[in-house]
Amino acid sequence: MEENRKTVIAMPRRLRIHDVPGAFRAVQSGLREGAVTVDFQAVDEFDTSGLALLHHLRGCDPRIEVANIGDRLEAALGAFLGGEAPAACEVPSLGFPIRVFHSLSDRFLGMLARVRNFLVLFGDEIYYTFGYLKGRRGVYPGEVWNQLFFMGYKSFPITCVLIFLVGVTIALMSAQQLKLYGATIYVADLVGLSMLRELVPLMTGIILAGKVGAAVAAELSTMIVLEEVDALKTMGVVPEKYLMAPRLVAITLAVPLLVAMADAVGIGAGVLVGRFSLNILPSAFVREMLTTVGLGDFLLGLAKTLVFGWVVILASGYKGLSVGRSAGEVGRATTETVVLSVALIIGIDCIFAFIIY
Amino acid sequence: MDIFTLRNLSVGYEKTEVLGNLEFGIPAAQVTAVVGKSGCGKTTLLKTLAGLVPPLAGEVLLDGARVDYFSEDSLRSLYEKIGVLYQDSALLNNLNLFENVALPIRMQHPEMPEPVIREIVYDRLSQVGLIDSAAKFPVELSGGMRKRGGLARALVLDPQVVLCDEPSGGLDPITSGHLDDLLQSLSRTFRMTLVVVTHELRSIERIADTVLVLNEGRQLFCGGLKDVLASADPFIRSFFLRKVDHDDA
Repeated sequence: MEENRKTVIAMPRRLRIHDVPGAFRAVQSGLREGAVTVDFQAVDEFDTSGLALLHHLRGCDPRIEVANIGDRLEAALGAFLGGEAPAACEVPSLGFPIRVFHSLSDRFLGMLARVRNFLVLFGDEIYYTFGYLKGRRGVYPGEVWNQLFFMGYKSFPITCVLIFLVGVTIALMSAQQLKLYGATIYVADLVGLSMLRELVPLMTGIILAGKVGAAVAAELSTMIVLEEVDALKTMGVVPEKYLMAPRLVAITLAVPLLVAMADAVGIGAGVLVGRFSLNILPSAFVREMLTTVGLGDFLLGLAKTLVFGWVVILASGYKGLSVGRSAGEVGRATTETVVLSVALIIGIDCIFAFIIY
Repeated sequence: MDIFTLRNLSVGYEKTEVLGNLEFGIPAAQVTAVVGKSGCGKTTLLKTLAGLVPPLAGEVLLDGARVDYFSEDSLRSLYEKIGVLYQDSALLNNLNLFENVALPIRMQHPEMPEPVIREIVYDRLSQVGLIDSAAKFPVELSGGMRKRGGLARALVLDPQVVLCDEPSGGLDPITSGHLDDLLQSLSRTFRMTLVVVTHELRSIERIADTVLVLNEGRQLFCGGLKDVLASADPFIRSFFLRKVDHDDA
């Protein structure tokens, strides 16, 4: 009686990857009406997905009976299953509060370890850079000049263009407000001060993070993936010195040039806006600016940008040299370098503001 | 006499043990092949011998002196005695082949005169048949050429031991055969010790004097090539003779 109520579902002659979904749906719809017998007698052509369907139907539901499996299909199923199935790993389940505590403590300890690693790298780099400057050993000859060319010369155009646009925007925006009080000439003071003290250091730092930091992190992490860093170690070279010292020296040399150029371009943008939009003569603009802005402001901006430059190189070295062996980590290291550098730059800028103002 | 001696060595990453209880010696001036299935820890062992992965337990002796993986002096002394040929050659992509081979000299002996560096580098490049490619960058070289370039760099400071990670991997049989001949002639001519991680049975038969077989993180066999080929161990038989003993499996 029981047997009579079973729906028989015949599998098609071809049971390949395109046929399996239809066959599976047929079995499922049969199950809605009760027990089913799946008949494999007609199956002549099959592939891995057909065998997977057979294996699944055999064990998934007691209402399914599988019938008429030929020797050929049975043998193929044996080969498909291969060795023994891996034993399921039982993970002891913990209560929710303990899981949350575990997760939070892991994150906290992980964060502490990352901060410690960053500080260790920072200390190492100071040591290695001074060691290099003292003995000129452990770094490929001419590498400082290569890096200086990349970090300085190649960063000039983009830095100048962006600083020019920011200078124009600041001058136009402040002029609109100052006009209300008949104090348009003070645009010169505002542009001069904001450029030298804040905008040039901040913009230069962020441009360095995006351009230099990303490139350095990508290069170092690729070297890790390609075992080039291991090769350096087994040549008796200290990778942290070979790779990082020339970059730190180069950024230290490049930043003053970049800042001087960017300051000039930013103030030049203000002068142009003053001349063509506010009818302020360039000589009057510069004279007024110099009543407020002095060498101290330039040096302050320079000091800040130097710190930002070092932060970018250290962050890229930290992220670039701490990747694993997979290519996917190169992209992650690059992105994280830019995010970390920008966050540190803005945080340090805020600390500078507290100290200075 | 053994140049490397491993005593009850366990190796791994963080706290996960990859290899355990290794106890053997690597004979000087011979070719030792390290063989085993993928993932059995061959490359990890090579990295430990190269000073890159510190042991979890046990010790490694080089010429009878213990290698301290956390001492700069000990590692420097290790690096002076070894050269490493990496699986993907690990030539620095921003330097041409000449500069890649010259790099160990420039870094370790910065006072070396340039004409002498040129002599050494060209000698090594001619030894590996790459003298015409000295000005090329790694991306311009074929896989076999990069391997030979990596070997020239590994040899440039006349190391006592050369560690080779799958020198024939991914190469055609002819190029692989040439590389094997080169390794064998180095060992014979300069009495250099070679430790070669490989899967290639032909290479093992052609160059190995001693064979170390690893299986599932353990040392299964260490001895001469003839002994390993005569072994009755089912894993070794299945590995070397491509014969699976189903009864023992």
